[in-house]
Amino acid sequence: MEKARISSIQLFLLLTGFLYGSTVIINPALGAKNDAWLAIILGGVGGALLMGVYVSIALLNPSRTLVEILRDRSGKFVGNAVSILYIWYFVHLASLVFRNFGEFMVTVTFPETPMIIVIGIFAVILVYAVNSGVEVMGRLSELFMPVVPVVVLIISLSLITTRDFTAFLPVLENGMAPVLKAAFGFITFPFGETIAFLMLFPHLNQKGNLKKIAALSALFLVVLCLVIFMRDISVLGSGLMQQATFIPHLTSLLIPGLNVEPLVDINLLIGGGTKISVCIYAAVKALSQVSGIGDYRKLTTAITTFCVVLSIWVYENVLEMLSWAEKVWPYYSIPFQMVIPLILLFLSFKKRVKPSNVRNGS
Amino acid sequence: MYAVSRYWLHCKMGDKDMLGRTRKRNRMVKQNAHIDNIRNDTNEPIPQTIGAVRSGLQEIFTGCSDFVLREIVCGKDSSIRMLVVYINGFVDKRVLNQDVVRPILDYFSNAKLQDKRNPIYEQLKECVVNNNDIKEAENMQQVMENIVSGEALLFIDGEDRALVIGVKAPQGRHVEEPDTEVSIRGAREGFVENLLTNTTLIRKRIKNPNLKLEIMQLGEQTKTDICICYIKGIANEEIVREVRERLKKIKTDAILDSGYIEQFISDSRLSLFPTVGNSEKCDKLAGKLLEGRVAIFCDGTPYVLTVPYLFIESIQVSEDYYDHAFFATFMRLLRLLALLVSNLLLGMYVALVGFHHTVIPFKLMITLAASRQGIPFSPITEAVLMIVAFELLREAGVRMPRPIGQALSIVGAIVLGEASVAAGISSNLMVIIVAITAVCSFVVPPLIRATMLIRFVFLAAANFLGFFGISFVFVAVFVHLCRLRSFGIPYMAPFSPLTASDFKDSLVVAPIWAMVTRPKILRQENTKGAAGVKRQEARLKR
Repeated sequence: MEKARISSIQLFLLLTGFLYGSTVIINPALGAKNDAWLAIILGGVGGALLMGVYVSIALLNPSRTLVEILRDRSGKFVGNAVSILYIWYFVHLASLVFRNFGEFMVTVTFPETPMIIVIGIFAVILVYAVNSGVEVMGRLSELFMPVVPVVVLIISLSLITTRDFTAFLPVLENGMAPVLKAAFGFITFPFGETIAFLMLFPHLNQKGNLKKIAALSALFLVVLCLVIFMRDISVLGSGLMQQATFIPHLTSLLIPGLNVEPLVDINLLIGGGTKISVCIYAAVKALSQVSGIGDYRKLTTAITTFCVVLSIWVYENVLEMLSWAEKVWPYYSIPFQMVIPLILLFLSFKKRVKPSNVRNGS
Repeated sequence: MYAVSRYWLHCKMGDKDMLGRTRKRNRMVKQNAHIDNIRNDTNEPIPQTIGAVRSGLQEIFTGCSDFVLREIVCGKDSSIRMLVVYINGFVDKRVLNQDVVRPILDYFSNAKLQDKRNPIYEQLKECVVNNNDIKEAENMQQVMENIVSGEALLFIDGEDRALVIGVKAPQGRHVEEPDTEVSIRGAREGFVENLLTNTTLIRKRIKNPNLKLEIMQLGEQTKTDICICYIKGIANEEIVREVRERLKKIKTDAILDSGYIEQFISDSRLSLFPTVGNSEKCDKLAGKLLEGRVAIFCDGTPYVLTVPYLFIESIQVSEDYYDHAFFATFMRLLRLLALLVSNLLLGMYVALVGFHHTVIPFKLMITLAASRQGIPFSPITEAVLMIVAFELLREAGVRMPRPIGQALSIVGAIVLGEASVAAGISSNLMVIIVAITAVCSFVVPPLIRATMLIRFVFLAAANFLGFFGISFVFVAVFVHLCRLRSFGIPYMAPFSPLTASDFKDSLVVAPIWAMVTRPKILRQENTKGAAGVKRQEARLKR
């Protein structure tokens, strides 16, 4: 076990950055059109509950990573098998975020640059960050994350003159069904992915704060998303909002007399960087524990290279990416984000209640 | 006699080695020097007869024209023979004559004064020599060391000990205002090359027996005096121990400047960012000591090292604490801005012109296009040309003899600035940008070197990937900064790890009456060096 320790505030910022991640450009809650604000709130509540499940698992198994918990609770063979599935999941997630990032860059800023260049250079830096350890990742989040809300505020405030505050009306035009569907997407998209943090929670130096940190970061994300949604819809209107590929980018272009396009890029760089580095860290850490390799740093470069290749290979184009994120991803994630964690929580509870029986049984 | 001649043999062999071998085989020489030292440590005794001492020393110091050897013969029947040995120019001759030689002659010529019961050696030590600073040398090794470090030695016939009399003449320049760190307000005293003067200057400011000054010698050949200075009870013991250990590990021929030590004890030896601070100003150093830092004095240089050195210290100036807090805060922020500008501005310009035309407001765009009209080079070529020209000017300004200065400034300002624009080699805007970059880089002197090189990296990245390249390099630099530790303390403290109580002296300067606590980060962290932590991690993983 690496001795690195991260403080509560560092974990909070890492979590927030992770949740914010590629939500900057793809927000599944927007599937609910005018009622996305409701989907964000509902999804936020559900997401917070889901994060509560992960936090409870972490608290019931103190100072153990996901792999160790899985092995403890379901035996070595099954535990390792499920861990390998999770490693795949983290790697896949990392490559999806890589692709989001690359796609955005290539569409918006560098139309003539091959995407592999953009993603590849990004990957080099992230390998450097991940190899520096959890402590450094925590410290980096302390330096960079405060920029995110500041950028959101800057863009929101500079658009204050061009707003139509009634744009989100009428409420519930199409009934509750699309809202619930979008809310479900919003639960799985940023919130459920925090399962990766089960590999990081053992590094927290004050375990007692875990619940508070998770709740606060969920709340923070909901507020941030609401601010962004209200801004976007009041500036663009719901019609334009559904047609745009990268909504916040389009919004930022509408600021009169000023072009703050790079600020959106920076936000994506920070959020996406945090998310990918946490995913890669979780994947390599899990892999090193499964395979018994002492130092996860040996694996980082290989896994990241794989992610980069996978990210290029996984979609044909940007539209496929967007529709996949909205339509397939939520269902693909269900076993990883809900089924296995709930079983794990159940097993952890069972063992806590009757420790002697379980030991005999296994 | 045998012992002396053996000693001499080693020395001579050493000399010959030093002269006879080329630089290529430097490593061999170093090894030999090391072996010589081990042999010298065998503590060869001082021969009892004056004649033997004399001939031995003369042989060792053949070819040393500054070596002085004087025999004193006195007492009844010329029975008492003594030998005074010193290096000319190193000792204060007047003091030596008045306090040592004359009392001896007076004392032994006056039979009444003599104390017959005591041996001559004890009499000399206790009641004849007027000087307070008296030590004893008990073997040839100590004798040699003391002679070459400027003490006078007194040998007495029939004794196998020698008296070491401290009559070192004060050397070097006077205490004056340092050229490199000028302050409008605050003490003008700067350190000098003499170690003793420097430690006195600090002692003068911190009148406290807890101010500890531990002395040691480094450098196989130079035997330079190094002094570790800290305030017991304020400095973190762990850090002091770490400093001591790292200094002891240094194996080198020569320490000519504290810069040598800096390179040996730095946490990250290849990092562009300094993890060891240096200062020439007494008040600044006193402040650092009082915060709990450890200072390392080195004889022969006015630059005193301080550890641990954190990033924030590069924008801290001693005047910040003497001035109004609001003003000081403003200056801090200005310095940080200057740091960012000097790193990023050039790259930003290239990125804007090359990739992000849309970001530039329309009116500025017209100005820009007009100024770039007719320039044959791409923005990156132009930028590299101008910045290299500037760096050349700067370097020339440092190296050239002073009287030529004016010629250089004329060349710099008129030829490179005005004429290059008139000739259509560079745009007006580029000259302005290089000028701003240059001015800003001088605002934060400790980071000048890092900035100078990183600027080129930013420039290259901006040329390939625009703002994205800049962001990438920016993130990479920050990853590096977050990795860095200085003697176990995270380099970016107090920003990350966030230490709220240390914010009073970071970007914001609290008034001096509000700074009631010492920097927390210096005491709280585990202070194992980066190497130590890594080793521990490796062990734990296994």
